[in-house]
Amino acid sequence: MGRIFVLEDDKGWEAYYRRALRKYDLAFFNNGIEAIAAMDEEQPDLVILDVLLAGPTGFAVVHEMRSYPELENVPIIVVSSVKIREIDEKYGILKTFDKAEMMPSDLLSSVANALEVA
Amino acid sequence: MNANSGVVVVAHELKAPLSLVRQLALSLDLEDTPEARREISRQIVSTSERALRQVEDMLKVSRLDDALFEMEPVNPRAVCDDVVDELWKLFRFNRRELKIYYRNRRRLVVANTQLLHSVIYNFCLNAMNYGGEDLPSEIFISDKGYDRIRIEVRDYGPAVPTRIWRQIKDGVVKKPTEISMRPGSSGMGLYIAGKFTNYMNGKLGLTRHRDGTSFYIDLPVSGQLSLV
Repeated sequence: MGRIFVLEDDKGWEAYYRRALRKYDLAFFNNGIEAIAAMDEEQPDLVILDVLLAGPTGFAVVHEMRSYPELENVPIIVVSSVKIREIDEKYGILKTFDKAEMMPSDLLSSVANALEVA
Repeated sequence: MNANSGVVVVAHELKAPLSLVRQLALSLDLEDTPEARREISRQIVSTSERALRQVEDMLKVSRLDDALFEMEPVNPRAVCDDVVDELWKLFRFNRRELKIYYRNRRRLVVANTQLLHSVIYNFCLNAMNYGGEDLPSEIFISDKGYDRIRIEVRDYGPAVPTRIWRQIKDGVVKKPTEISMRPGSSGMGLYIAGKFTNYMNGKLGLTRHRDGTSFYIDLPVSGQLSLV
């Protein structure tokens, strides 16, 4: 069972992830500062994040993560209402989903693939 | 708010719940048990109702200038009870609790029931979103001097930024933007609450605590005795 950090500040989406990804070991954060601090203690196997977050945006969290060697290769899946495809290549984002277009089965398979690789 | 930026903000506000409803509806087929499907159905209903209320509030804002909302003696306890009745399931679903405390004498305020309901509803949603997990959100109704009543909603979440606190303290509730003032917020709820509060000749404010924030509305007491 993989350890997944989910950075999401919408309670409705948080409830959705809790249910959809219930077979995984999930930790939720509603802001980037707490998430980065937690990564100092424990390295997740996968990070799922939104872009619009408390304090630092998801962009900043990704940038911060990639600046630490131990977090450099942690897979990241971005699920957001904001189009952010331009950062995919630069920061090695595994997969980017638009919340309005994502299919639940695609999210589940992306998570499974990410944890398999990790 | 100019027309374009207003449309962008409203679109953004509505995109989040609509995307979630779509996602939940699609995930119904992936669930094996009736109980799981019922839970998803409940979340679809509550998310849709929140989105509808947002739309209704925006429509009310557009009608304020036409003075379509009559001011009348209103029982603040009854309004707050209605809000709690409407929201307790959503709070429970999100692992939150909503409590109400009466600290006022039984007096009425001069307000409009619909607008006051919307203000308290927005305060409560804000508290639910930003309150800490397993910590309650609290509504307090208390006397504020001889001639005003305060209705306050407290959360135990992150503090409101100083810039926003100053704006509210100075009585200037900024128009909503795409940039969040608190996480995940365009400020639309606060903007609507500010418009409704001004219409009712009330005062909107907030108190920053070490461990959270209280948003409040002060309203004038009605001369009519409460019959409730």
